[in-house]
Amino acid sequence: MSNTENKPLVLLVDDSVDVHRLLLARLRHEQIELVGTTRAVEAVEMARRYKPSTILLDVDMPDLDGFEVLRALKEEPLTNNVPVIILSAKCGSEDKVTAFDLGATDYVTKPFDLAELRARLRASLRLDHLVRLLSERADVDGLTGLGNRAAFNKRWAEKVAECRRYGTPLSLALLDVDFFKRINDTYGHPAGDQVLVELARMLQSESRSHDVACRYGGEEFALIMPNTGPQEAQVVTERVRHALATRVWSRHPDSPITASVGLVGTNGPVSEITPEHWLEATDHNLYVAKRAGRNRCVVTELCERPLTQPLQHGVEPQPRNEAA
Amino acid sequence: MMTEVSPSHSNVAKRPGGGPPDVYFSELAGDPEMAELIQSFVNEIPERVRLVERHWERHELGELRRIAHQLKGACGGYGFPQVGQAAAKLENGLSREENADLESVAERVRELVEMCRRVRAS
Repeated sequence: MSNTENKPLVLLVDDSVDVHRLLLARLRHEQIELVGTTRAVEAVEMARRYKPSTILLDVDMPDLDGFEVLRALKEEPLTNNVPVIILSAKCGSEDKVTAFDLGATDYVTKPFDLAELRARLRASLRLDHLVRLLSERADVDGLTGLGNRAAFNKRWAEKVAECRRYGTPLSLALLDVDFFKRINDTYGHPAGDQVLVELARMLQSESRSHDVACRYGGEEFALIMPNTGPQEAQVVTERVRHALATRVWSRHPDSPITASVGLVGTNGPVSEITPEHWLEATDHNLYVAKRAGRNRCVVTELCERPLTQPLQHGVEPQPRNEAA
Repeated sequence: MMTEVSPSHSNVAKRPGGGPPDVYFSELAGDPEMAELIQSFVNEIPERVRLVERHWERHELGELRRIAHQLKGACGGYGFPQVGQAAAKLENGLSREENADLESVAERVRELVEMCRRVRAS
């Protein structure tokens, strides 16, 4: 999770209580929230927990060398992007080179010039802000504004983990535009793009606020529906499918567009299934929907028992054929 | 996070040999934001001096080094760089505990304690 507060969170790691007191007082007027530890061994765990916007890290600590902490922070995927400002009494270039080589963003010598420290901290917070923006951008599909495949993979793994841990319902739908290549070939790519953008918009307007819609790739979309069993999930995806099928397109008013849907969900609990297997099963249902004539939704409910076997042998997919 | 503060008046500054009151004021004393912090730091100095003396008497060189390290950082941060340098000298003298030159450590402890006793907030 990123910071829930508006104020960026700064983590101070320094064995000296005096430094904590000093900075707490001196940074009081900065728009930051300061949390700290005097124990270097706790630093990485705290950074994982708080996801700070900047870490102020003392080098010379009795329990663990600050450079070791820095190395651990850079090796940990959850913290390796957090800017680290090294605080050190050593002003030799050797230590500075070590710090920057290990991935530090900045280096401030003790005793601090407070005005300088504040300015460097602000610069670091700006950097963090940009890095966060960039990483959000990297998860967004440029055409539709939905999450892209990388975003889907992350969110899906999280949701499956939640579902397994708490036994809550969860459903996944994959939607694929029927004969999409034909649209592109016949009416041109702008027409195809318009279909994708419009379907993305429908996925958002017809789903609920806690559902997660992503562009999985090409003309394929994924809809993650947390706390939703397959029956309820089907109602949602049918709304989307219906909205798409009844849409009149200005570029080709006589050619309606449809989509096929594969859906796999559980009313919980399930314990064995991996995100990858669940996705595969959903993709399989999509394939079945295509084979059965497109413009339909194929649903499977996951139950605890058949999960140890492949879905194909467990619950048979139930094609639901509806004329649109 | 706050350390226990128990001012011990028996250890509060004695002016050496009735000589000139050679005292150290914080370089940051003019900063109103710092006044309170400096005062509380100065209030704790006698306690820290007592720790230095106790660890030295008991020959607990690792602990002595830790206190010196903290004093170095704190004195620098609160505007007493000369005292911080004395603490740094002691810390360095103890950097190799096994081979510490005890005579020079003794001298550095004396120097640091003496300077600490002359620290004033304002």
